Amino acid sequence: MGIVSTDLHKAGAIAVSVKDVGMVFGNVHAVRSASFDLPKGKFLTILGPSGSGKTTLLRMIAGFDKPTSGEIFINGQPVSAVPPHKRAIGMVFQKLALFPHMTAAENVAFPLKMRRHDARTIGEKVERYLELVRLGGYGGRRINELSGGQQQRVAIARALVFEPDLLLLDEPLAALDRKLREEMQLEFRRIQRELGVTTINVTHDQREALVVSDEVIVMDGGEIQQKAQPVHAYRSPANAFVANFIGVTNFIDGKVSAISGSTVSVESNGQVLAGVVAADGAPLVDGSACSGAVRAEQIRIASARTALEGLETIVEGQVTDSIFEGERMVYEVTVPALGGAILRVFDHDPVSHLQFGPGENVRLGWNAKDMHVFKK
Amino acid sequence: MRHSRAAYPLTWRVMDVLERLAAAVWPSSFQRGLPYLMLLPAVVLVGLLVLGLIQIGDSSLRTLDTSTFMMSENYTLANYQRALSEKFFATVAGRSLVGAVIVTVVTLIFAFPYAYLMVRTPSSALRKFLLVALFLPFFIGQVVRAYGWLIILGNQGMVNEALGLVGVPPMRLLYNYPAVLFGLVQYMLPFAVLMLAPALTAIPAELESAASSLGAGWVRTFRHVVLPLARPGLVGAGLVVVTLSLTDFAIPAILGGGSQDFIANAIYDQFFRTSDQGLGATLSLLLVAVGSILVGVVFMLFGAGTLAMGDERK
Repeated sequence: MGIVSTDLHKAGAIAVSVKDVGMVFGNVHAVRSASFDLPKGKFLTILGPSGSGKTTLLRMIAGFDKPTSGEIFINGQPVSAVPPHKRAIGMVFQKLALFPHMTAAENVAFPLKMRRHDARTIGEKVERYLELVRLGGYGGRRINELSGGQQQRVAIARALVFEPDLLLLDEPLAALDRKLREEMQLEFRRIQRELGVTTINVTHDQREALVVSDEVIVMDGGEIQQKAQPVHAYRSPANAFVANFIGVTNFIDGKVSAISGSTVSVESNGQVLAGVVAADGAPLVDGSACSGAVRAEQIRIASARTALEGLETIVEGQVTDSIFEGERMVYEVTVPALGGAILRVFDHDPVSHLQFGPGENVRLGWNAKDMHVFKK
Repeated sequence: MRHSRAAYPLTWRVMDVLERLAAAVWPSSFQRGLPYLMLLPAVVLVGLLVLGLIQIGDSSLRTLDTSTFMMSENYTLANYQRALSEKFFATVAGRSLVGAVIVTVVTLIFAFPYAYLMVRTPSSALRKFLLVALFLPFFIGQVVRAYGWLIILGNQGMVNEALGLVGVPPMRLLYNYPAVLFGLVQYMLPFAVLMLAPALTAIPAELESAASSLGAGWVRTFRHVVLPLARPGLVGAGLVVVTLSLTDFAIPAILGGGSQDFIANAIYDQFFRTSDQGLGATLSLLLVAVGSILVGVVFMLFGAGTLAMGDERK
């Protein structure tokens, strides 16, 4: 990745470059020494819980806040001294920030008028972008006459109509209900691919991050925890925070009892469990405290050991809770051998309709390669 | 016992007793009548005002007999004829109307940045300071404030002394039209700011960020986003200021020194100097009519602004 990005930089294909950017409010470090490069045309999602600094980072890129240290480059040019209205950045705001005293078309025309585009081309362009977001013919509507999804689309059209270098999305989908949110995620993806505009999206919704992005940056406590492609971030999290934030993960605490190459043995409550060293994590040494992370969906559940044939780790437990979620069952299983640890297990089995009730004794099994071991 | 008393505090017991009393006095079957009952004081007050207006209307149709100082028995429109034809009243009316409009425009121009800063500043200390500075004059009262200006702007006042230090001879700063307008603007400013602030609070700051990211500098953001959205507040504040300054009495009386009468001063003179109740009543009714027409025209042109409640607000 490092080599690829420097090559692209030479070719001038880096849209946004964030170098050692920090932001301090009073004595709170909202962002600490964040650095990343984003190639042109890519869709990046900054994912993190509230207070992780993701919105602050986005606002600095937009120009609403000035970094207290470091520099942001857009198309190779430092932008700290450039006010927001002089940057070619389209932004979709959390609450959309559509102008209520204008129609949909007037909202979309606003950036063209402010940027002194030729008045004769504005009408045609506005109509073209309203069609792009599938709102052709809705231009004359007032903002309060549009549904939530339609307002989203107007906000997207307004942010894109002046062909900005960069599109910023500040959690615009957070307030939508789930169905509409998922529909709009795909819509963002479609429009972004269609126009090829470099996009930075901020969200706390891990599913959205996986669905829409080419690249994901996971932030916590003002620091970048991992930057990777969605599949990589999911399959190979850099640390326990990332493993916990994306997906549902069980952590088994213990200490390293043996390590060779990428395989590692973890001793927990007298049990020895086989796992792999987390690929992007901090290095492990013999005897160091560690944590083995297993995804809930990578644990198989069965009543008999024979059903788990071929899995490398098998433990016994007792179901304490079973939740029906439609397409899957979620079990919480207490495992006495692991000091009474409660493991969460997803069981997607649409064929057998097998269900375990609370109190039933079950066996859990997983493969060594699915337990990522992190330094604690 | 102590424990249960803590769980059920004295104030609750008092409320219980009050509720029981209320239930005895006003049984729940009367519940539907309650809102109307609560409306009653307002209806009575407005009703009295209407009775007063009818009385004034009656007086306005009677002329003063200067030999007996009694009001005439029969109705006549002579007072209206005088009020509309005598040059003095036309001058006073023109002075009041023009003054009210100038005061309104100037006040809104001054009040807008004040209200904007108060609403948008991130510093709560500055916001509190601005609010206190706004409310302080309310505690002083209009007449005392006008006398304050007499001291500051008088021939031996602070302003003239300060001008004297830089070699400017003393100037007559009082008892002229600008002094009255100045006093009125100073008096109206808090009203305008308090009417504007809620309207500005209703404009999300995100809209201004959006405008700036879409390519508008602050001037154009103000012109295309803030100003149109603040219109209800400007209309509401404007209506309050224009009616209050049109009908003001104390400031023209004190800072105008008798030479800058507004309509209210002319009415006062008729009632209490010449004792011509008839003409005073006529002038009062004309003032009510002019004020109502002015407000009606603004309502028709711009809507009622923040004074319109509920769905009508645009």
